[in-house]
Amino acid sequence: MRGFWTVFKFTFLNRMKSKSFLVTTILFAVLIAAGINAPNVISSFSKGSTTTVGVFADTTISPALIQYFKDKGDTKLTIAEYPDQGSAAANEEFAKKQVFDKEVKGFLVVQSAKEGQFPSFRYLSQGTFMQSGPSTKLEVALQEIKLSETVKELKLTTEQVALLNAPVDFEPIQVDAGSSDTPSHGTAGAGKTPSEQLVSYILVYALMILLFMALSMYGNMTASEITAEKSSRVMEVLITSVAPLKQMFGKVFGMFLLGVMQITVFILVAVINLNLPSNRDFFISNDLDFGSIDPMLYVYFVLFYLLGFFLYVILYAAMGSIVSRTEDLGQAVMPITLLSLAAFYIGLFGINAPANTFIRVTSFIPFFAPNVMFLRIGMSGVPTWEIWLSIGILVLSILFLGWLSAKIYRTGVLLYGKRPTIKEIRKAMKAYKL
Amino acid sequence: MTVLQLDKVTKRYAEKTAVNGISLDVQRGEIFGLLGGNGAGKTTTMRMVLGLIYPDEGKILYNGKPYSNELLKRLGYLPEERGLYPKTKVSEQILYFAELRGVSRKTADKDLKDWLERFGVPEYYNKKVEELSKGNQQKIQFIASVIHNPDILILDEPFSGLDPVNVELLKATVLQLREEGKSILFSSHRMDHVEELCQNICILHKSETVLKGNLRDIKQSYPKEKVILETAVPVSGLDRLDHVSLVKSEGNRYELRVSVPEAAQQILQQAMAQSAIHRFQILEPTLTEIFIKKVGDGE
Repeated sequence: MRGFWTVFKFTFLNRMKSKSFLVTTILFAVLIAAGINAPNVISSFSKGSTTTVGVFADTTISPALIQYFKDKGDTKLTIAEYPDQGSAAANEEFAKKQVFDKEVKGFLVVQSAKEGQFPSFRYLSQGTFMQSGPSTKLEVALQEIKLSETVKELKLTTEQVALLNAPVDFEPIQVDAGSSDTPSHGTAGAGKTPSEQLVSYILVYALMILLFMALSMYGNMTASEITAEKSSRVMEVLITSVAPLKQMFGKVFGMFLLGVMQITVFILVAVINLNLPSNRDFFISNDLDFGSIDPMLYVYFVLFYLLGFFLYVILYAAMGSIVSRTEDLGQAVMPITLLSLAAFYIGLFGINAPANTFIRVTSFIPFFAPNVMFLRIGMSGVPTWEIWLSIGILVLSILFLGWLSAKIYRTGVLLYGKRPTIKEIRKAMKAYKL
Repeated sequence: MTVLQLDKVTKRYAEKTAVNGISLDVQRGEIFGLLGGNGAGKTTTMRMVLGLIYPDEGKILYNGKPYSNELLKRLGYLPEERGLYPKTKVSEQILYFAELRGVSRKTADKDLKDWLERFGVPEYYNKKVEELSKGNQQKIQFIASVIHNPDILILDEPFSGLDPVNVELLKATVLQLREEGKSILFSSHRMDHVEELCQNICILHKSETVLKGNLRDIKQSYPKEKVILETAVPVSGLDRLDHVSLVKSEGNRYELRVSVPEAAQQILQQAMAQSAIHRFQILEPTLTEIFIKKVGDGE
């Protein structure tokens, strides 16, 4: 075990002390902190600013609109009245000018309507259909105004109006297939409320992105470090000092711990920032409560992250050992990179279709399981046995691939020259009696 | 006492035989020379001794015992090509290598400083390897192979890339290690180095052992064919003698080759008849000549 720890320590410390590691860690930590604080900061910035929408003064619509936003207490949207320009064409021209001159954000133009009908509207602004801005609010307001106009015309009683306006009691609850517990609202194992789903959604995304990032960083780092040792021939000194198995796993664990440490720093930064009083209030007011979901989800998050990370780092190590020049490395690790990319995209697809058969199947394939099984847990209900079956398959694959990688490593480190084919590696393994 | 023994060791890679039935013994306090052209099987032999690959046939014994992982700590290896971390400090990596072989950092640190002192480069302790010249890197490489005080040293081309001063320095160090009782398996293309250092040699050619034994015996077993003659005035008719051929003549210096030993005396008599003799010497063949002869035969 001594050799293992020595390699482990050397790998870990050497990398940790490097400038690039410190810089990336700090950079990402700052980005994360900024990202978490951004929504709150942006919303507090925009608190003071108001959007002005112009409208031509008339007897019904414009006072009703002003009254509506006043009643709602919406200070972000002000309605500015402008005198009628006489004709419809002049009105339109005037409205456009106001918008271009940035006097108003947008202009609501009332189209002439037939007698007894509610008029139609055109909203002029420079926004694209994606940035609708105040148009949604206006639409809702006009709908309301239309309703009250109609109610007035029909001469309904206040009770009748109240009845008409009473909202439907509607709460979307996701059914959890995996639980036999008696369903109770909002608790673990009995489906998720939209708030819980939002948190799970964020966690699923976080896992996929963090895992993908960690793999492309640490996977490549591990592989290139091993290749560098081969090309600088340090390998010859190393393999005559310590058994290749200890050496490989020392390196893999060293990298692994480094990656886990970095991610822990990121998560700590995230947790601290999320718990800043201002942010906590902001997120809870936006229906985002990280404490509301089943703590097991966090356990699975950590478990799948660690297992997925480890699985891939082992593969990268094996690939790094078979090439002898850094130039050839990119090609050699390509299959692994593609696998991790596939896992990422299957995950993206699965978020929207967690119950899909393809997603179910891939959640048991070890290379995809960390992303896909976790998204199934997060986005829908998964029976506990399926989760543990997937984890079991993952662990067994790690053991098997660890063994295989060690064999490849043991062979690969002695092979120099051009990148060997699978056949050549097998031949070499036989020749070395491994 | 035989420290390292190879007994009819054979290694095949698929259809190619890399080493065929090599046998050799290295005693305590001995430098054994392993010679051979490129691709003769030296590296494979060394790798088998290092336990990196296993022989298909035959056996390798260390102090009479077969290979075990414990042995790694007692083996020191200097690879043919530099094998150091370019961007890591000398002290850090040497201590790492020492630690890997089970030496405490404290002991290794002291030994490292001693070695650097011995090679006259104590200031390299905190330098990165890439900052050093090739020759100085080789010194560090050498320290890396002996930092754990191994009993068996395997040196693959230890003097390549060194200037003459440093060759002498390292040679003296190797000899001193021999005095300390280390067993050294040594490979080189430079026959003069081998002649200077080794008692026993083994010449490999195309995976076969073509010559093996005590260097003195080998040399004496070869006929003394070379004659050097220096005279006061030019002499003539030397190349007309039976069994004599003239190789080279520069002024009054002649280099001759004889195919029977008696012919040398005829040369001397012929020369004495014409001139005073400044120098007459019958030379034993150099290792280079033996090597070329042996390896050339195989072509």
